[in-house]
Amino acid sequence: MRAVILDGIVLGLAFGLLGVGMTLVYGLGGVLNLAYGQIVVLAAIVASNVMADGTATLVAACAGVLVAAGAAVLLDLTLMRPVYRQHGEERTLLGLLLTLGAAFVIAGLLTWRYPAGALYVNITGDPVSIIGVPMARGAIWASAIALAVAAVLLLFFGLTTFGRGVRSVIQDETGARLVGINPSFVRTVIFALSGVLAGIVAITHSMSGPLTVNAGFELTTFALIVTVVGGLGSVAGAFLAGVLLGVVNTLSAHYIGQYITTIILLGAAALTILVRPRGLLGR
Amino acid sequence: MRSARSLGWAALPIVVTAAVLAALPPIWFGDSPYTTSLAVQALVFAAYGVGFNLIFGSTNQLFLCVGALAGVGGYGAVILIDETSLPMSVGIVVGTLSAAIVGGLLSWIAVRRSLGIIFTGIVTLVFSLAFANLLLGQRELTGAETGLVVSAAADKLGDDQVGGYYMFACLLVVFLVIFRVLQLSHIGWAFRALRDDEVAAELAGVDVARYRIYAATIGSAMIGLAGALFAYSSGYVSPSTYSFDRVDVRVLVLVAFGGLGTLLGPVVGAGVFAILDERLTTSLELREVLYGVFVLAIFLFFRRGVVHAVVSLWKRISKPRGEKPTLQPSRE
Repeated sequence: MRAVILDGIVLGLAFGLLGVGMTLVYGLGGVLNLAYGQIVVLAAIVASNVMADGTATLVAACAGVLVAAGAAVLLDLTLMRPVYRQHGEERTLLGLLLTLGAAFVIAGLLTWRYPAGALYVNITGDPVSIIGVPMARGAIWASAIALAVAAVLLLFFGLTTFGRGVRSVIQDETGARLVGINPSFVRTVIFALSGVLAGIVAITHSMSGPLTVNAGFELTTFALIVTVVGGLGSVAGAFLAGVLLGVVNTLSAHYIGQYITTIILLGAAALTILVRPRGLLGR
Repeated sequence: MRSARSLGWAALPIVVTAAVLAALPPIWFGDSPYTTSLAVQALVFAAYGVGFNLIFGSTNQLFLCVGALAGVGGYGAVILIDETSLPMSVGIVVGTLSAAIVGGLLSWIAVRRSLGIIFTGIVTLVFSLAFANLLLGQRELTGAETGLVVSAAADKLGDDQVGGYYMFACLLVVFLVIFRVLQLSHIGWAFRALRDDEVAAELAGVDVARYRIYAATIGSAMIGLAGALFAYSSGYVSPSTYSFDRVDVRVLVLVAFGGLGTLLGPVVGAGVFAILDERLTTSLELREVLYGVFVLAIFLFFRRGVVHAVVSLWKRISKPRGEKPTLQPSRE
């Protein structure tokens, strides 16, 4: 039981890290980036190719993160421009459809060029015992990174001037503009940040198992579920929802069965929308 | 009262479509089973498209569960026949009704909780994924990835490809007639009102909730019927027959390409994409890239679709300038 819950928390931190990049972009401009999972996969493929040349893992990971950030910025500077000229639901819908198109292009190109591409960051060493449960080192590393990212993000949005500027745009775009904040610049920075987060997800995800080239759609789906449950635009909400869903996932996978588990997770997302559309910690 | 002449104009696109569909096999692909099967697939997708168009194009409910609804129809029909050995037609009717009920329920939930386009999209997407998992999980009922062979279909529709083609062509024409009749009736006026401005429509006395549920129920019934008939005509169903990436994405793209909310949009879209599929014999991955580029191009430059573009061009040519616009439902 203890082991199951601990596994759930590890999985949940991974979910949270996955969701936070999507939720930030949504909170800022109302765009659900359906290409998010594909950007994760892009980072993974880049990192694995760099690693194949014999480069150190850390350097390869940085390369993956940088390329993901670059891809996200490119997306923002090209496809998102017409999207941000729209308002309200029109904007969300157009953003949804355009990022869906981008997801196809990226997925198609990657699976065409690297049909067997996969990233696996192998962390060697004996399992470490945590409160009496042996945990794989890869899982511990991944969780530590997720926690560090959560802490950095919360400090960034809570304490720095730019972070507060971002929050002001989330709350009221027009108001933020009036006090001298440039929403379009803020959005580009946040898109870059979400790309960096996608790159980090690629690395941590591959610490406990290979991340294959066709995982993009599934990653997007889970990011979407976490985003919806946590509250659109909330960093703490994404991690809280991630951990809750992670624990539910492992509990039900352990006691009920895998297919039912996915349905339970999906049901949780649907229920959140119906009962509390703002999500756990949304405004 | 609408004049006979304007009714004739309203029926013209359907008559032309029916004539073209009837003429296609003898003049183009009568002897090629491969082309015929592509054409059948195009017709099925056009039929899905009409249903989706009724739900999304007419009443702004983003139903990302076309594949799942078709699957409810298809699997519902096949499993019922397999388990009870009732006649095929009963299975199809039950499958269609189940799809209609599921679609109506989804719409009822969305309306009751007043979900916007995006949340409706997410809830229906979640339903699609849950349905796919259910198909995989209920192994003894659905055969999971292996799928089910439709035993009742072997002697009926499976062999006769051109017959199957004509059956789906008839189905499509019937759907188009239903779509047009709805457009011209008071329901169509309500659809247009609530699509343009929901609040204004509500204030003008249009029961927005009720018309949304109508549209979703009728559209879902169409999708379910097409899905059930497709199961019988192909003689085999598997989760990928109705999967999100095989069905929904394609339906969304082809309806958007043809023109959302237009009568012939789905038909034009399905036709163009069938031709693309036939010409593009490259790898599956490159086809996916091309789909993506298509989606991007459509929504960046061409947002109202082919049918809108053609109709507005036609209006510009046929109408002298300065003439007052007449108050009429759109003919698009």
